[in-house]
Amino acid sequence: MKKIIIGMAMTATILFTSAAQAQSRVEITGDAQQGYQLLVNGEPFVIKGVGGSHHFDVLAASGGNATRTWGVGKETPGLLDKAYENGIMVSQGIWLGHERHGFDYSDPEQLERQRQHVEESVNALKDHPALLVWGLGNEMEGLQSRGDSPVIWREINELAKRIKALDPHHPVMTVVAHVNQDKVRAIQQYAPEVDILGVNAYAGAGGIGESLRAYGWTKPYTIAEFGLPGPWEVEKTSWGAPIEPLSRQKAAFYYGAYTQIMADEHLCLGTFVFLWGHKQEATASWFGMFLPNGDKSIRVDAMTRAWSGDWPENRAPVLQEWEIPVFKERVSPGGTFPVRARYNDPDGDTLTYTWEVFHESSDRQVGGDAEQRPDSVPGAVRSTDADGGAELTAPSKPGAYRLFVTVSDGRGGGAMDNWPFYVTAEPSDSE
Amino acid sequence: MKKVYAVLLSFVVSSLMPVLLAQDFGDHSSATLTGKAWEAYGNETYELAMAYINRCKELYLATAKKQQASLSAFPTGEKTHDYYALNDVGTVLFIEGQLREKQGKIPEALAAYRILAEELGFAQTWDQKGWFWRPAEAAAARIKQLEFDAMLD
Repeated sequence: MKKIIIGMAMTATILFTSAAQAQSRVEITGDAQQGYQLLVNGEPFVIKGVGGSHHFDVLAASGGNATRTWGVGKETPGLLDKAYENGIMVSQGIWLGHERHGFDYSDPEQLERQRQHVEESVNALKDHPALLVWGLGNEMEGLQSRGDSPVIWREINELAKRIKALDPHHPVMTVVAHVNQDKVRAIQQYAPEVDILGVNAYAGAGGIGESLRAYGWTKPYTIAEFGLPGPWEVEKTSWGAPIEPLSRQKAAFYYGAYTQIMADEHLCLGTFVFLWGHKQEATASWFGMFLPNGDKSIRVDAMTRAWSGDWPENRAPVLQEWEIPVFKERVSPGGTFPVRARYNDPDGDTLTYTWEVFHESSDRQVGGDAEQRPDSVPGAVRSTDADGGAELTAPSKPGAYRLFVTVSDGRGGGAMDNWPFYVTAEPSDSE
Repeated sequence: MKKVYAVLLSFVVSSLMPVLLAQDFGDHSSATLTGKAWEAYGNETYELAMAYINRCKELYLATAKKQQASLSAFPTGEKTHDYYALNDVGTVLFIEGQLREKQGKIPEALAAYRILAEELGFAQTWDQKGWFWRPAEAAAARIKQLEFDAMLD
């Protein structure tokens, strides 16, 4: 009974907390010549955002102020509350159908169901104090096309109009995968109700503002996802495995991209860095800024430096040097190799190293769709010292693999790097 | 003393000989020099790549700067090709930056990137996939990244 009363009291507290706060009021002021500014409850707000729904305490401590979601679900009210408790504003995504998933933008029945979903979502969430903007769709214009379908953009316009009728206090952003002239013209022509263009851009994110101007875009924009060049746009091994940038390179890339993007003070309202969390996409460490075990990576530190101008209190380990003789090589089954990766902890914490071998991912999707993490190969590698040394035994089964090292400072900071290699069918004479 | 000079000269000649022998500037056009620089860079024959890069800069940097000064926006379509010196010198400067990074010569890489980012901002590089990209933007990004990386040590 006591538990029930405590539970009721907690619920009442949460309801009271939410109810006691006024709906956020967000507006865009300025113009293309003077520059745009986002105002949240009357105060200037530069979006220092992330894509993700966890680690809001770390985000707030890092100097971030916003997060982005992709759709509305059962978890959404709780997520908005959690964000609000941490002083984080939310670009609330409303997922729209993709033709590559079977949605048909010329089918009136599907469109009507989608319109109902959008309106229900807006009515349910528009009064939440953590709401920043509506994120209407994500890359629904099509990944393989020029993204200029009038049918799709007219529907986006209809949805934006309906959202504004229900909620005049939050701008509508729609999010596309990179930009080209045809896509930008189509949005301008068919979707004038859209207030902000969100652009997902990985390689070349720093040049988006210049491209948008060249294509005639004059409204504000955000970089709605930025991060590393994807597996599809990096160097590959001779067997086609994408070579993941090293953790240190990733941090530099994030910092460089952010500072380059934010140099556009006129049209750019801010950015959302991808991904504030962990995700399997090509590898377990490509896009996620946190490790699978929850440790923050050096990329979080890079964004902390970019957002706040300072380093965090506890910094993640920094890769100093590595020797991986199997990297990009074809090796014989059962061959043994000494490997080493040495990291430095800027705070002087003692580091622990864990080496593992994983099969190369065979569950590769497009557009960020969910992927399964491949299996590890038990016993393929064992640490030999506390300074990052190990001995690798090449798996007996031929195929593509990755050698991973995970480093932890024991205080929530970590690092993960990997190097692909290939095991041949037969022992080679050269070894 | 003469012997010392002779030994030194012999050493310099023998170390440069492979590069000198391999050099083929073709028609000395900026396009040829840029293509050869890319190829040598791809083959990791960095001294040879630098020979093509340096010749391209020597012959076309002044024209590239004039072409840059004549622009207020990125040229588009067929007009892009009119700015051949700007595009090719911008491209070889980007190759130089990448090459110097691979050699661990970060100050030299930064110097190449800075000329490109600060003085040849409207350069465009043709990608074999079928579009132009902007090496000055890539150089500006690399400058930021290298500056950040320097803060890590």
